[in-house]
Amino acid sequence: MMIDRRLVREIDWVLLALILVQSLIGVFFIYSSSHFIPGAYHVRQLVWIGISFLVMLLVLAIDYKYFVSLSGYLYGLVVVLLAATLAFARLVAGTKSWITLGLMQLQPSELAKIVMILVFARLFAEYKSAYLTTQHTLGALLVAAVPLALIVAQPDLGTAMTFIAIIGGAFILAGLRKKAIIVFLLAAIVLGIGGWHLALKDYQKKRVTTLINPAGDPKGSGYQVIQSKIAIGSGGFAGKGFAKGTQSQLRFLPARHTDFIFSVIGEEAGFLGVVVVIALYFALLARMFLSVSKARDRAGVYIIFTASLLIAFQFLINVLMIIGLFPVVGITLPFLSYGGSSLLTTYVACGLVLNVKMRRFANV
Amino acid sequence: MPENRIYEDLTLVRRRANAVFWAIAVLIFLVLSYYWKVQILEHKKYTALAEANRIRQRVLAAPRGLILDRNKVILADNKASFKVSLIRENVKDEAASMAGISRLLGITEPTLRGRVDLHKDSPLFEPIVIADGLDSRDVAPIESRRREFPELVVESEPQRTYPNGGLAAHVLGYLQEQTPEEIRARPDRQVRAGEMVGKTGVEREYDDTLRGEDGSVYEVVDSLGRVRGTQATVHPTQGGEVILTLDADLQRIAEEALEGREGVVVALDVETGGVLALASYPTYDPNRFITRFTPAEWSELMTDPLSPLENRAIRGLYAPGSIFKLVMSMGGLDSGTVTPETTAYCSGSTQIYGAIRHCWFTPGHGAMDLSAAIKNSCNIYFYSLGRKMGIELIARSASRLGLGRRTGIDLAGEKDGLVPNEDWKRRTLHEPWYPGETISIAIGQGQLQVTPIQIATMTAMIAKRGDPVRPHFVEKDVEGPPAIDPALAFMKSTYEAVIAGMWRSANEGGTGQGARVEGFDVCGKTGSTQTMSRESAAKLAQAGREVKTHSWFSGFAPRTGPRIAVTVLVEYGGGGGATAAPVAGRIFDKYRSKLASEAGR
Repeated sequence: MMIDRRLVREIDWVLLALILVQSLIGVFFIYSSSHFIPGAYHVRQLVWIGISFLVMLLVLAIDYKYFVSLSGYLYGLVVVLLAATLAFARLVAGTKSWITLGLMQLQPSELAKIVMILVFARLFAEYKSAYLTTQHTLGALLVAAVPLALIVAQPDLGTAMTFIAIIGGAFILAGLRKKAIIVFLLAAIVLGIGGWHLALKDYQKKRVTTLINPAGDPKGSGYQVIQSKIAIGSGGFAGKGFAKGTQSQLRFLPARHTDFIFSVIGEEAGFLGVVVVIALYFALLARMFLSVSKARDRAGVYIIFTASLLIAFQFLINVLMIIGLFPVVGITLPFLSYGGSSLLTTYVACGLVLNVKMRRFANV
Repeated sequence: MPENRIYEDLTLVRRRANAVFWAIAVLIFLVLSYYWKVQILEHKKYTALAEANRIRQRVLAAPRGLILDRNKVILADNKASFKVSLIRENVKDEAASMAGISRLLGITEPTLRGRVDLHKDSPLFEPIVIADGLDSRDVAPIESRRREFPELVVESEPQRTYPNGGLAAHVLGYLQEQTPEEIRARPDRQVRAGEMVGKTGVEREYDDTLRGEDGSVYEVVDSLGRVRGTQATVHPTQGGEVILTLDADLQRIAEEALEGREGVVVALDVETGGVLALASYPTYDPNRFITRFTPAEWSELMTDPLSPLENRAIRGLYAPGSIFKLVMSMGGLDSGTVTPETTAYCSGSTQIYGAIRHCWFTPGHGAMDLSAAIKNSCNIYFYSLGRKMGIELIARSASRLGLGRRTGIDLAGEKDGLVPNEDWKRRTLHEPWYPGETISIAIGQGQLQVTPIQIATMTAMIAKRGDPVRPHFVEKDVEGPPAIDPALAFMKSTYEAVIAGMWRSANEGGTGQGARVEGFDVCGKTGSTQTMSRESAAKLAQAGREVKTHSWFSGFAPRTGPRIAVTVLVEYGGGGGATAAPVAGRIFDKYRSKLASEAGR
């Protein structure tokens, strides 16, 4: 697996640097929010960053075309894994999203995100018309529906939403007519209402109603949002100082080093910190999205676009969720939140973007 | 790869991708402005909220319900005690603080850290109980050094106390701290960590009634730990009262009679089945369980060879000895094997199945009928009755009188006892039944095992001429006596014949005469059970060692309109007539005078 020297020269070093800087900021605040409990989470996160980085390099080494050609098999594998998870996994915190293989814990729904990026690149790569036909739309929907249904059944609402975002993005790119958009919106409303009454668990409903009125349940699911908002608001302009946030240090904040890491940043680094992290995100996303102009083919465009959208969507939902503008659905903040499998997915997605970008010259 | 040389026209998809990115960029800008609003414009409001955020819940422990005897004498009460809690937030130097507190409270550091670590994920300002059950003398040194230990809080809380010390300890039971495992196993019970709950006895059996509902205060605490106000107070509700059928006076007499021995006294109200007294000796002081034991004290109690924690009345398994002759008589009469007039001749010994068997009275009792055999507790008579009845009929009679199974008393841990028969022996020992064993069973030896409460219940049932009895401590909670299958009921006449023998035993110079009470018509039966084989007993006796048997007495009074049944067992007490009967006599006597004074009023 030799990497051509010309290829190495084409690697987007700025993007790579942004990824690492963002991850290290995460490590600092993971330390700040968890140093008083056993577990050395910051050290573990560093190890995960190292592992994810190596995996990303591995992804870079292989032409994305090869991954795309494998996407059929990968799709089959993911469906089998998701079904197996549903059938065999133990219930953890009310959902069945983890399976244990020997010593390793796998979250197949994370793998599914990556595989769907490749599957859609393949599905739409040969599709050159300006707009999707009904036949194509339905075909692509069917392909997406199987893994999506399995994820919804776990139930993992956050991942399912991320999934829908990637799929929706791919459709937008492929070209949806106005009529189709209206049909999708109507279907979404019907499914939404139906799902509310039939599929959503009580705790999930509560999270949505909490969004509208967090004070209605201050000791339950509203508690997290209230505490998080207090943390962010009391941070002010410059913040309370590193490891000095009362909300995080006195353990008012829930899931401090995972889902709510950005609240810790808001409290301890203030609005300044928020601006820095969001600016870095903006630079990162711009660098990723805008590299669609560097893709040599249609599959490449789809890969760059859906992979960037995956990160953009999770980032937006997370920062909205922790400030009470979106229900608490358990979506982590890419790069910054503690957690190996979310980090790995994020790095592999970035790896795919870098991969496409560095192979922009067809004759390489 | 030749196909790649021709570039596709990707303008349209690229344009769409760019449009989506710019839409996201606008969203990012909107998000940022919302953060601006929250962090800059509303900063003051959230700072105030963060300051006042600290709502601390303080539990107001509910006092447990009282336990009273039948005359409303308090057996279990509450008193004020103190507990010390640690607020981790106020700890400046952890190592120094732990060492200091450990010295101040006399708790070892690992124990102290263990208690604190149980709550390691709760907010730092929440107090963690590190010592409780302290009295005002214990907390004085802590109060005087408040400045040195700003992290400690002293609060008062109700604590269980047993005003009569060890009185009825085995009935009341004791409390112990719920372990985290037990709390997790029963999430529906809502026991808070460290709460004392009933571990044995009535405290355990009626724990749900006795436990009150804890109250709580939600206090707003500022960032320096000062209480700024109270948000809501829910007052604790004391647990419900439990009124026992027990009579504290009888209980005291029963325990005094057993003092210095190992044994059991059970007294039942014949009419209701309510337990009037239940003493098991040696005993313990349940108050000592409240203020945590030192490990040494605990292991001393647990390993004491006399097992003071064991309730012998419901868990002690003993051979019934001659008490079992009542069962033999009931079965023999009911089956028609003998009539009250059937006589046998006792010469002091007899030969059965090729072995010489002795009566306890070596000169022999001469010729006698059934009631005389009961009165004299003659072995020879019952050897011959046992041979005629056979093991199956004997076992069936015992089972019909409630032996071999729990009485269903409202006290946990009761044992079944054992009534052996052929089938049992084949199943468990894989051996056939030998006729000689039947002869041993006939005088209450062999593999027979009964608990004193079973004997007391059986005695009450005989006193009521067959009406079933379920012994109990709490009147209203009892399911009522077990129904008796009419096919299993003994004929009424058998009861009268057996009771005649029991009356003669106590009133005509029989073995039970020690229990006689003037004017109370006591009917009873004694027993003494071998605790070792006759051969080894003989050897010991030759060596000049005193061989003592367990002694039994079980009886009721008066003969007509029975009120009380009393069962006494004294371990290694010697002859039942000499040791157990007089103890029962004291109970009968006390009860009679109580009845008389009640009638006088």
